[in-house]
Amino acid sequence: MTTLVTDIQRFSLSDGDGIRTTVFLKGCNMRCTWCHNPETISRTPELMFYRSKCIGCGKCFEVCPVGAHKLIDGEHIIDRELCKRCGKCAEACYAEALATCGKEMSVDEVMAEVRQDKAYYDNSNGGVTISGGEVLCNLEFATELAQRCKAEGISCAIETNLSFPFETIEPLIRELDQVMFDIKLFDGEAHKKHTGIPNKTLLENAYKLDKLGIPLTVRTPLIPGVTDTEENISAIAEYISGMKNLVRYELLNFNPLGESKYRGLDKENLHESARPLAEDRLAGLKACAEAKGITVKIV
Amino acid sequence: MSKIKFINEFDKNKTFTYDERIALLRRRKVAQTEEKARAGGANEDDYGLIVQDEFHYKLKPNHENGSIYGYSAWRENYCAILKEHPLYCDPLDAFVGKGFLFLERLRPADKKWNPAYPFDELQALFTKYNVISGIDNCHHFTPDLQIGFDLGWGGILRKLREQRELHDESHHEFYDAEIAVVEAIIAFLKRISGELAELAEIEENPTLKENLKQMAKVNLRVADNPPETFREAVQWMCWFSMLSRTYNRGSAGGQLDEMLRPYYERDIERGILTDDEAVFYLACLFLQDSRYFQLAGPDENGKDMTSKISYLCLDAADKINIACNLTIRVHEGLDEEFFKKSVAYLFKNKQGWPRYSSDSALAEGFMKCGYSLELARKRVAAGCHWMCIPGMEYTMNDTVKINLARVFEVAFYEMMEDESCKPSMEELWARYEKHLKIAVDATGNGIMHHLKYQSKTQPELILNLFQHGLIEKGVNITDGGANYYNMCVDGSGIAVVADSFAALAQRIEREGKLSFGEITAHMKENFEGKDGEYIRQLLQHSERYCGGDTLGDLYAKRVSDLYTALVRDLNVQHPGINFIPGFFSWSNTIGLGETVGATPNGRRYGEPINHGANPNGGFRRDGAVSSMCNSIGMIQPGYGNCAPVQLEFDPGIANDEEGVEKMAAMIKTIMQTGNTLLNINIIDANKILEAHKDPFKYPDLVVRVTGFTAFFAMLSPEFRQLVVDRVTSVNGSKIECE
Repeated sequence: MTTLVTDIQRFSLSDGDGIRTTVFLKGCNMRCTWCHNPETISRTPELMFYRSKCIGCGKCFEVCPVGAHKLIDGEHIIDRELCKRCGKCAEACYAEALATCGKEMSVDEVMAEVRQDKAYYDNSNGGVTISGGEVLCNLEFATELAQRCKAEGISCAIETNLSFPFETIEPLIRELDQVMFDIKLFDGEAHKKHTGIPNKTLLENAYKLDKLGIPLTVRTPLIPGVTDTEENISAIAEYISGMKNLVRYELLNFNPLGESKYRGLDKENLHESARPLAEDRLAGLKACAEAKGITVKIV
Repeated sequence: MSKIKFINEFDKNKTFTYDERIALLRRRKVAQTEEKARAGGANEDDYGLIVQDEFHYKLKPNHENGSIYGYSAWRENYCAILKEHPLYCDPLDAFVGKGFLFLERLRPADKKWNPAYPFDELQALFTKYNVISGIDNCHHFTPDLQIGFDLGWGGILRKLREQRELHDESHHEFYDAEIAVVEAIIAFLKRISGELAELAEIEENPTLKENLKQMAKVNLRVADNPPETFREAVQWMCWFSMLSRTYNRGSAGGQLDEMLRPYYERDIERGILTDDEAVFYLACLFLQDSRYFQLAGPDENGKDMTSKISYLCLDAADKINIACNLTIRVHEGLDEEFFKKSVAYLFKNKQGWPRYSSDSALAEGFMKCGYSLELARKRVAAGCHWMCIPGMEYTMNDTVKINLARVFEVAFYEMMEDESCKPSMEELWARYEKHLKIAVDATGNGIMHHLKYQSKTQPELILNLFQHGLIEKGVNITDGGANYYNMCVDGSGIAVVADSFAALAQRIEREGKLSFGEITAHMKENFEGKDGEYIRQLLQHSERYCGGDTLGDLYAKRVSDLYTALVRDLNVQHPGINFIPGFFSWSNTIGLGETVGATPNGRRYGEPINHGANPNGGFRRDGAVSSMCNSIGMIQPGYGNCAPVQLEFDPGIANDEEGVEKMAAMIKTIMQTGNTLLNINIIDANKILEAHKDPFKYPDLVVRVTGFTAFFAMLSPEFRQLVVDRVTSVNGSKIECE
């Protein structure tokens, strides 16, 4: 079995307990306007162009079968309408200014990479985190990967938006040692507006998941002007405070690192001017959540 | 220029806590460092050296070339220095022992080796392969200070005199020089004690006056007696540092906690020492010199040596928080609380200390040389990347470097210029093997030449005294005075070579994208022009060393295996001498790189070679530490010497308890997966960029440069750039700084 993998990041310290390897799968069912991994949303390979790495060799112009690379007013642009995402230009770009995002990989290939750090997982209570995109969009692959990890004594976790029917995802969940899921907005309308889907399934799943006895971490990305209100954080904290297996609630400060990816994909970044929240704002939101009697961490 | 005495600097009524004194001493140290940096700085250890203008010594040469050679010249000059060397005295400090100069550096830089013992033929090979031969270098082995603790200078003098009577005239040159040196030391220390008593009379602040009186008393005792109290033992160590540094920068260190534990426990039991005092004394010891000390680790029976004083050493280093070269020896039985505390301090202070060594990798490796486990465990961290059994070994540690990248260049161009052969990977490897053997053999012959004639050049008149059985033998350490000869032979530039082999194998043989001819043409042009840069990028993005099961990793292992076998073969060529391979560059990355043209890994002419056993920048897109350390663990030569790991982290990586826990797990794993030594810098990229622009903006910023820690401001712009490049090169590419 294969799927499109956008990246495998070893020695990851912020995707769960201990030292981990995070496997990013391509494809997501949400359309969050602030997504800092926009290259993982589409379920097909995409061409990224990092202009600062371009050495101006012109090889991409030579190999492109449809003439999608153009020089307009001295600027190298990619005609995304023409581009067939064949990857030939990325193959010819040795400076890695052009890169195809999404590599078809088998579970065996992923395992070959992740098992190299087993000693680190063992010493730190770490393991593998399957992330995305949305991991549940690649349910079959993720389940097999989790089973293989378990068979080799490697702890496995997922990062998910949990917005799928519970009965379909339960077999995967049962292979896991830890689940991290997002509640971005508590208000259903706002959630639909900013992510493209409602949060009813997600909120119901949270308590179904809690019954399975797996350690859970709930996360909210703090998006200025969208999710970073005391009202939102309080409501989420209140909702999850009754969960028996909640390890902690993480408030993820705004991550501006998506900027270069939006540029690389020639996509509009609706949160271009947004910046991480200041320390005092973070402390205020943390206090709001802690008031509900749960453990909170700023990440 | 720094003052060298600070009497009546404070109000008569001022009182001081120990913490206040440490803070004031630290402030003075930072100011003195800034002065040193403004006076030119240095790309090396701090040494605790004071830049002053009150005392300058003019060398009295015994050779027409202006240099000094042999026992008498070294003895005469050293004794003359001690006769005149003024006292540096800071009444805030618990100790005296600051030095102003190194005799070995007063010689003309190009006249160090005695011209009566030339090695022209070897030199031609050293030049061809860019070998730093170690001939004319000194110290770089570890004395056993316990000998001094047991005998005192007076006891050493008596032993020398007794042994002189038992030996024939052929040994008298040795004994006469050593006796004169020790007599000069005792006279010097007695003079210092007298001067301290005089200063105590002048000082008006009662606390500082009393301190000076105590210092005078302590110094009078240790002038010729063995130390009896904790304070006397540390004062003795301070003087040992200064006296060996003044002679030839002599290195020392040792198992600090165990050396001082008997004094600490005895004084505590007698009620004449408190933990606060002990911490203050230890902080003053770290302030006095940046010597390498080991803490914790197994004793010869495997029992962990962590004790109360190990904790106090960490606390003292935390309080003084300067360039402290402390190494924790990690082993299975290591006190977990102590280990965690050390990791917490590393990330709290961000000053590059402590670092970590692996007992299992080091001991198992050293035992492969034929030594017992008990001896292997006595081999303690004592230098930039090296270990040594105090008082038992002569090693030339860190003084011998073979530029593996230069050897590659010779082999590569020999193949390309040989019209009778068709270039191939197999042919290139065969030629690399041939030239590496010539370079290694020449290096081995160089070491033998050094051993044969070093006493005619620079006898080790200070460190000789702290070797077991040497005074009884009556010879210099290079003439058979040591119990063991474990000669360090380091290879430098392994990543450049491995990545070069890998790039050729991948792009020519596997993919057929390029030919040897094309690559050679671009290398000769230094990858100039648009086409050149395109080819360079292709080569640079080949499968790299530390990528994890890559072609680069494969070739790094092959190079390591070959190098190790060739160095070990020197044992057959020179029976009785044990040659130990390692991979390290020290701070020669720039110099060794300058001699090597463009290489097939996309490196341009003259660019620095890789640091130690670390990969070249950009080895993986995620820059995974685990992948890097797995690969470095794989290429360890495995005979008890090191191929260290150097890590650079942003402070954000461990800014809470959970982060520190993860780092502790990381350190343990690195130490359990074949690695030998681990150095870690935790530096904010923006801060170091600012400090690079204006070094005096952060005069107390300390970084671990290679094996040693140094004040960043003290480094030359080229070395600052090297550190900046490492720190700002995260995840394989330049990070964006504010």
